[in-house]
Amino acid sequence: MECRGFDDQLVRHDPKVQALMKQFVGVRVVQFNGTDLARFQFDYDMTFAMFLMNADGTIYGRFGSRSDMKEADREISIDGLGKTLAAALELHKGYPANKSSFVAKTGPAPRFNRPEEYPSLKGRYQPTLDAAKPVQSCMHCHQALEAERKMFRAARQPIPDEFLYTWPMPDVVGLSLDPKEKARVRRVAPGSSAEKDGFKAGDEIVTLGGQPIISIADVQFVMQFAKAPASLKAEVSRAGKKTALNLTLTEGWRKQSDIGWRPSSWDVRRMATGGLKVDALAGEGLAKSGLGANELALEIKHAGEYGEHAAAKNAGFRKGDVIVSIDGLTKRMTEGEWLAYLIAKPAGSKITATVLRGGQRMELQLPTQ
Amino acid sequence: MLNRFILLTGLLLASAGATNAAENRLERVQKDRTEVTAGGLWVYNDLDQGFAEARRTGKPLAIVFR
Repeated sequence: MECRGFDDQLVRHDPKVQALMKQFVGVRVVQFNGTDLARFQFDYDMTFAMFLMNADGTIYGRFGSRSDMKEADREISIDGLGKTLAAALELHKGYPANKSSFVAKTGPAPRFNRPEEYPSLKGRYQPTLDAAKPVQSCMHCHQALEAERKMFRAARQPIPDEFLYTWPMPDVVGLSLDPKEKARVRRVAPGSSAEKDGFKAGDEIVTLGGQPIISIADVQFVMQFAKAPASLKAEVSRAGKKTALNLTLTEGWRKQSDIGWRPSSWDVRRMATGGLKVDALAGEGLAKSGLGANELALEIKHAGEYGEHAAAKNAGFRKGDVIVSIDGLTKRMTEGEWLAYLIAKPAGSKITATVLRGGQRMELQLPTQ
Repeated sequence: MLNRFILLTGLLLASAGATNAAENRLERVQKDRTEVTAGGLWVYNDLDQGFAEARRTGKPLAIVFR
């Protein structure tokens, strides 16, 4: 269970957070079955997400961000949560006079109102848990995202970027935010669009796209539902003074986001690679392979064994193989880039790959599904 | 015949592994409920009750999905 340490502090031990939490009605939801998808829109690949709300359903803000599988709590901290909770209490004090500023914090209508209405989940899950089998009948949040992607795949349509490169971190446009703060800029990447937009380290993002911002997740929410290209109006507090800026999202901005860490990417691997999990060779492994730093060198770390996850294995791919060419491409890629390239191929394609196995090169056909 | 035996044994072992994993997870879920509700700060897995409590007290909600 990722985020366990963080969750443990929140629920039981941290005195600062406990004092703030006493001013809220805390609700802990441990199932996704029956969830109102119109109201609760968040990054469904996370294992911890918080909504700060009014009793009438108005959303003040969200908390919870993630960008890595191993370090699940890299983008969150108890300090940051404390500041977000305090900011939500301030917004609550100003309610309902400030109500209109929260309208856009509820996202656009989803395709289905409940996750179990998706065709691939219908019949498998019910809106409530089976008391006799609570674990087996419990749906995971990421299954809703997988079900959405399956709709496009089944219709032989490309999966739109917003469902593939979902909920990118602001780092993608060059804004690294401090997890110990609400939404304070820690670093601006040189040459990035955020730098060109005039953002500076230390800026506290107060509003974005007209919405009050009280967390990194709030920034992600505005970006997730923006139509690219876009220029989002931002207000930042810089050395105590309000400054107006724009945050530019260029066409295809999401594609810089690495989706390899996401639990829902297992299903992308099934569709795009026939069930292969790969990792870009680096360091000693790359040196041993004899491949150059700019050459494609994706080592197969796992080849699925069951059902459609075994398609690549059945096509001859093996754990330990190093993929050195795919569809004629030999340029270095991350796993995210490899998945992004292959998921754009129609289901049922056979893509020529060259693998390195025991020092020998061999050609295989990678199946998409 | 040997192949069928190996397949059956494999399926039984996989099934036992899956059952153990489900039992472990069930234990964790049950423990989580006991520990979380013991503090008295959290409504457990009941959004309707949470919203009703927020309306009654005038407090905002902090809803965690885990």
